[in-house]
Amino acid sequence: MLLQLRRTTTKYSAITMTNLQNQLAYVWEALNRAVFIILIMFVFIQLWTAVYESQGATEIAGLSLSATIWYFLIAEVMELGKIRHDERISEEVKDGSVAYTLTRPYNYLAYHFFNGLGETAVKMTLIFLLGLPLVVYYAGWPTLQPQHALPVLLVAALAMLLDFFVFSIIGLLAFVTEDTFSFRLIYQKLVFILGGLMLPLDFLPAWLQPLARVLPFNLTTYAPAKLFVAFTWAQFWQILALQAIWLTIFGLVLLRQYRWATRQLVVNGG
Amino acid sequence: MSDVVVNVAGLAKTFQVKQKAAGLRGSVRSLWRQEVREVTAVSDIAFSLEKGEMLAFIGPNGAGKSTTIKMLTGILYPSAGQASVLGYTPWKDRRKLGYHIGSVFGQKPQLWYHLPAEDTFRLFARIYELDMGEFQKRRDFLVESFQIGDLLQTPVRKLSLGQRMKCEIAASLLHRPRIIFLDEPTIGLDVVAKQQIRDAIRYLNEQEQTTIFLTSHDAGDIESLCKRVVIINHGRLIYDNSTSALKRQYLRRKIIDVRFAEPLTAPFALPCVETLKQGTYGVKLEFDGRDIPVETVVQQIMATQSCQDITIADPPLEEIIREIYKK
Repeated sequence: MLLQLRRTTTKYSAITMTNLQNQLAYVWEALNRAVFIILIMFVFIQLWTAVYESQGATEIAGLSLSATIWYFLIAEVMELGKIRHDERISEEVKDGSVAYTLTRPYNYLAYHFFNGLGETAVKMTLIFLLGLPLVVYYAGWPTLQPQHALPVLLVAALAMLLDFFVFSIIGLLAFVTEDTFSFRLIYQKLVFILGGLMLPLDFLPAWLQPLARVLPFNLTTYAPAKLFVAFTWAQFWQILALQAIWLTIFGLVLLRQYRWATRQLVVNGG
Repeated sequence: MSDVVVNVAGLAKTFQVKQKAAGLRGSVRSLWRQEVREVTAVSDIAFSLEKGEMLAFIGPNGAGKSTTIKMLTGILYPSAGQASVLGYTPWKDRRKLGYHIGSVFGQKPQLWYHLPAEDTFRLFARIYELDMGEFQKRRDFLVESFQIGDLLQTPVRKLSLGQRMKCEIAASLLHRPRIIFLDEPTIGLDVVAKQQIRDAIRYLNEQEQTTIFLTSHDAGDIESLCKRVVIINHGRLIYDNSTSALKRQYLRRKIIDVRFAEPLTAPFALPCVETLKQGTYGVKLEFDGRDIPVETVVQQIMATQSCQDITIADPPLEEIIREIYKK
């Protein structure tokens, strides 16, 4: 039992480590892509400084300018660092290499999760570190209390997992549709607007806020970013509960969908 | 325990293929009117395979070879029929079966492109839950068999196709699979690389009685490795017998190369024998064994004038296969 657990742990950690090594081969490319964060943060900072100045306000919906700037850095780190395995699944189906990846003795989705984790670790670190100087220069150091760091990390981890579930659902559609680009696009736009990537949910019109808060999109991006800049235990518990509910729902969907998709799979070539 | 490794009965697979008329008009029309055609890739095939056998599973493109492999490795669900591989139903017990089978698809890479093959080997050792000591022994054995010692530390992208294929196959053998599915493992390789791969596969089969399930378009692969041939065409099994029986059955034609001691002065002709080529000192002849026995032909040649050399050959297996496919 214990031995099996150890084997399973080393199996999946080896997948993460191998991807991590692979990422090092791409480190310049990853860096080039991560440089985007400097540009986007610069635009955000200019835009929101102008907004705050024109309003003559120190706070909007309870957030100061500094808090808003930090909010966007964390939201972007979450969004840009996400595991994009739906593209990989789609590629596997198109080029037929799913014939390899699906026959190995592991859980196919867990394989993709741990494979993506290596990549995500590199991407998130790079994006955060590149965005940091600019954000500290304009907004100072963050105000997060040390005792809130762990709960924020927990919410961020669950946010990643929730996002992984959604992308898995999209990715497994590739078993039937081969291409998943349109599904991904729709999801990303929803995260943009209802997930808090364009602006914090607190800035949305009052009628839209309650809906946006219970939908899953904000739980992947807005939730960790908001708790990072303005932590309250009440909001933490509320977010945690919603994350648990949506993880259960998507988990059940995935389970059924996986069984269905593997039956539908058509492999190209040969 | 019986030694049957693969047992297939009534296995069939049909696909729904979307149809679209050519051109923009067809594309637009397909937006609301999807026409679906049912394609039978494999239809009612049956065979079994014993431990240590080396089977050539051949057929023209689109015959259903890969589809069969994909059902036997558990990726595809069949439309009908049964299959058992090492006692497992592949599409139901895919993960458990995964520990005991290996597969190599000649046209699809499995090694990590930017990493040395050694890194992928180590990853596979973890995935297949190998003991690290055991893994190292196994790796050394495969390095020796495939002669890839000096390739393991090079990033895979820097390897030639032949070098890469040797590493690809070795990677699929790390976990000591009891059966390995080789789907065109020598495609695109040069003669030397092909031979090295064949030698390594034969060695492995001799050493460990690994069952080999091979598809290939290369008659050389089949001839040098497999004692048994199964031919599939249009999804149906049309031949299942030994390679030598295949040759006997279809090899009625013989080719004879003759070299004479003296130059030829007149056109060379024998009854029931076709002269394919004639030079100053030699001729190339072809005849059908049913019309005239080999001995008679040879005697007649010797009677014309003194010979330096006579070679009798079968037409290559490739020609036989081509003939069967045409049927």
